[in-house]
Amino acid sequence: MDFKHDILPLKNIIFRVALRIVLNREEAEDIVQDTLLKLWERREELEKVDNMESFALTAARHLALDRKERMDNQLVSLDEEVHDQPEGQGGTDASLMHRETQGFIADIINALPEKQRTILQMRDIEGKNYKEIATTLSISESDVKVTLFRARNQLKEKILQKKSLFL
Amino acid sequence: MDYKYIEQLLENYFACTTTLQEEQILRSFFSQEDVPGHLVQYAELFQYATAAKEDTLGEDFDQRMMARIEATEEKATMTEEKPKARIVKMTTRHFAPFFKAAAVVAMALTIGRAAEHAIGEQEAEEKNNMVAVDPYIKTSDVQQAIRVKDVSQAETKATNDSIISRTTKDEIQ
Repeated sequence: MDFKHDILPLKNIIFRVALRIVLNREEAEDIVQDTLLKLWERREELEKVDNMESFALTAARHLALDRKERMDNQLVSLDEEVHDQPEGQGGTDASLMHRETQGFIADIINALPEKQRTILQMRDIEGKNYKEIATTLSISESDVKVTLFRARNQLKEKILQKKSLFL
Repeated sequence: MDYKYIEQLLENYFACTTTLQEEQILRSFFSQEDVPGHLVQYAELFQYATAAKEDTLGEDFDQRMMARIEATEEKATMTEEKPKARIVKMTTRHFAPFFKAAAVVAMALTIGRAAEHAIGEQEAEEKNNMVAVDPYIKTSDVQQAIRVKDVSQAETKATNDSIISRTTKDEIQ
């Protein structure tokens, strides 16, 4: 197994899936590095894995979820500090203002629960079939479909809301 | 132009009954310049899906990644000393027949040396006999001869023992 040939090409899909979870490019890049390194260290086991991409994405997702949790905990403690200040409400508004928008659709997707985000990312952006998604997330195919249904319909609802606003 | 097909695909898309190919058709359809007015609200969704796949990591990432891989590779070769020792063990087994041959040669040499000592013994005996004949021979010389005989016997035994133990070791291996 060769790193540049067999493992490095997975970087982009891992990056996009991780980014959809942590919503921070630097953190996502770190996750890609950690995942690829882990794969390389376990390359002997990997010879027996039949879907390496799915294996890699599962590992990356776990790393991303851990990081996200840590980031959120840090944010909570930051928020508490903000609330301690006299102009508490103003601080919260300001932090919302600083959250940069990625565009109308991206903002809707990124506001979805993580499971919906990841499944939508894998299906609609990466073009993966239900079986691959189910394997990656260690859930059933029907669970994948139900979750995807919710995500797509949330998008539809927001799109139609926006349309009615402009009419 | 009739958009019934696209409308049907859209309906199926939100019902999650489209195939991957049909979803690709939707993305291609909405990536065109002139999307009909009654469908335009969905254009952004499918255009976003197409664009989002273009988000990639550059060459600078590869460089950082390769540096990290090389660093761990160096560490790995340092900790791989133990497996190396095992490789040597494999060659020992490989060369076992040669060691056996060497043992045979050593055995032959020892027998040769033993034979030489036997001759030496004879000579010592002759010397002993000479004591009676030659009154001028020193007692110390006789003692020396006896001591040489004892030591050489002990030596022969020791060499034999070591050869036996080495041969058994080879066989165990």
